Amino acid sequence: MLSIKNLQVSVEGKPILKGLNLEVNPGEIHAIMGPNGSGKSTLAHVLSGREGYSVDAGSAQYKGLDLLEMAPEIRAREGMFLAFQYPIEIPGVNNTSFLKKALNEIRKHRGEEELDAIDFLSLIKKQMKLVEMKEELLKRPVNQGFSGGEKKRNEILQMAVLNPTLAILDETDSGLDIDALRIVAGGVNKLRSPNNSFVVITHYQRLLDYIVPDFVHVLSNGQIIKSGTKELALELEERGYDWLLEEAESKA
Amino acid sequence: MAHLTNNFSEWVNQQVDGDSPFAFSEALRSASLSKLATGVFPTRKDEEWKYTPLADLFDSKPGEETAGVLDTEFIRSLKQAMPSAHTIVFLNGEYSEEYSDSRAMLEDSGLSISRLPQLEGTALKLAEDTILKSTLTDDNIFQHIALGLSQNGLFIEVKKNVECQTPIHVIYISTARGVTAFTSPVNVIRVSSNSHLKVVEQYASLGEATVITVPASYVQLEDGAGLDYYKIGMENAKTNHICNTSVRVAGSGTFRSHQYLLGSNLTRSNLEVSFTGPGAEAVLRGVYLGDEKQHLDVRTYLDHAHPHCSSDQHFRGILNGHSRGVFNGLVLVREHAQKTDAQQSNKNLLLSRDARIDTKPQLEIFADDVKCTHGATVGELDSDALFYLQSRGIDQKDATLMLTRAFAAEVTQEIDIDSLRTYVQGKIAASLDEIVIPSV
Ligand SMILES: Nc1ncnc2c1ncn2[C@@H]1O[C@H](COP(=O)(O)OP(=O)(O)OP(=O)(O)O)[C@@H](O)[C@H]1O
Ligand SMILES: [Mg+2]
Repeated sequence: MLSIKNLQVSVEGKPILKGLNLEVNPGEIHAIMGPNGSGKSTLAHVLSGREGYSVDAGSAQYKGLDLLEMAPEIRAREGMFLAFQYPIEIPGVNNTSFLKKALNEIRKHRGEEELDAIDFLSLIKKQMKLVEMKEELLKRPVNQGFSGGEKKRNEILQMAVLNPTLAILDETDSGLDIDALRIVAGGVNKLRSPNNSFVVITHYQRLLDYIVPDFVHVLSNGQIIKSGTKELALELEERGYDWLLEEAESKA
Repeated sequence: MAHLTNNFSEWVNQQVDGDSPFAFSEALRSASLSKLATGVFPTRKDEEWKYTPLADLFDSKPGEETAGVLDTEFIRSLKQAMPSAHTIVFLNGEYSEEYSDSRAMLEDSGLSISRLPQLEGTALKLAEDTILKSTLTDDNIFQHIALGLSQNGLFIEVKKNVECQTPIHVIYISTARGVTAFTSPVNVIRVSSNSHLKVVEQYASLGEATVITVPASYVQLEDGAGLDYYKIGMENAKTNHICNTSVRVAGSGTFRSHQYLLGSNLTRSNLEVSFTGPGAEAVLRGVYLGDEKQHLDVRTYLDHAHPHCSSDQHFRGILNGHSRGVFNGLVLVREHAQKTDAQQSNKNLLLSRDARIDTKPQLEIFADDVKCTHGATVGELDSDALFYLQSRGIDQKDATLMLTRAFAAEVTQEIDIDSLRTYVQGKIAASLDEIVIPSV
């Protein structure tokens, strides 16, 4: 599904990712944890095609395609989805018509028929129940005036509607109360299937109680310094990152 | 007119000396003609005209134009904006019996609409009075061209305590072919105490000839009266449009204006509002959308001479190609105008490197207890927003279109006539569709 090899990325001449390797197979959930500023969001952005990053070495393949050569919208149409750490507000663009347009672009790409307003509305209403989002938020401009938690739910709503093959969730749990956390996790678990994969970036072991990962990776200073199973997250929760950083240093 | 050497001024000169028939007030006409006889056209050396090139206008020499055929489909498309309004159509400067709604001219429970040449008696006096009391700081020769040379126009009057349910839709169409065509409609709108009216003025041209349109409008709102005044400019690239609008709002009156400048070669729209009593309100909105070599120039002047008045201005510009926009807004708060609330905002989006905007919001405050803000921004599309849309599968062109439309929609969403809002947003979307090309 996703195969990242020796990925090296810099921003304005400053190296951020320093030789990152990651293999994600269909049906797997990978959690990425790591200290602030270690490069987690950078990885998510590079994978989804944001400008401003220079890829200095390495490769990323998605479904056998050269991911880094694809325009962001093509990545999305091929089934990639990024739930942003900081979803932005887009004044003047209606939440519903935006999402309908996005879905229909993806459907067109897959050779499926576009949904009309009525079919789309019934789809979105169903998915809104899943994330327990207030219907009123559909009528507003994208994320405008949404609370922090509402923005995160809106990301999960979009994910549920667009039904991606590979979803990258960048700290979707940050700033959520316990109920919201459960709902967001519920959204992910609903989508979980042998064909879909998730990369879940988080700081909290708590989320992984709800979304049980197959693998946990620790990203530090631009590299994955440790990979393990969900027990690793528990260990991190207890011991913090310091022991890992020391271990990595002594190896180097 | 001694200093003038260009084609247009020569033509104006000939009109001054000639004795072409005038629309209505002989007194106003001769006053304006004598102004014209000594008046001087502005040049780029005049501060107020620094950014506005009049060369295209000066090159033109109006003559007897040949009217081209008018496609009835075209009229129908214009009428879509206001399907249930009283429609009045002026074709090449002449009132069109054929396309106007015949009920419109009838006196309708407190609302009367008259063509200027037919005015007489007290109505004539009222119309003259409205013009005489008006003041335009941008004392420009174009007002006098309109008043001195106008052949037609409307006087719209609403009696006291009348809620006019049916809006008035005035359409000016030019179909001129061959030589340059000139029109200068004069409109006078007077709304009496506690009455409310909506008026939409729409300008279009579809001939091959150069067109010069120099309208002048005079609005007077009495105590507690309200007017929603829309101007939709969608002329073709052969049209130069220079208009002056003078508005006086009495105590507790409300003047709401929307201007959508979506066409023409050059448009200069000067809108001046003075409050003549306390507690009055003005809301000014506008979008100018330029492409290629268009020049769109919006001027506003707000004279806060009384306390407790508020004005709120919000103008947005979208400029592509080599087009140029000018926003020049002055808010004057006089010494006694305490508790004034004046807001002014001008935001611009440049879609090409060669497009340009000169924006100059100005505040002159002589009272001490006031709340005034103003601000202007010039920018490109938000790249984070573009990426957000693209990351959901929307390509760059469509994302650009969505964001640009949204930028305009922040203003157009305030149009409170549904059909008109749909129409204007549709026109903007259609223009953007043509001008936004993907950058990859
Ligand atoms: N546009 C940029 N310009 C300069 N530095 C940047 C830019 N974007 C990211 N960085 C730097 O890259 C490093 C990694 O940032 P990134 O956002 O990927 O961290 P993160 O692991 O997601 O952190 P957090 O846990 O706080 O979200 C940081 O030091 C950050 O300051
Ligand atoms: Mg981050």
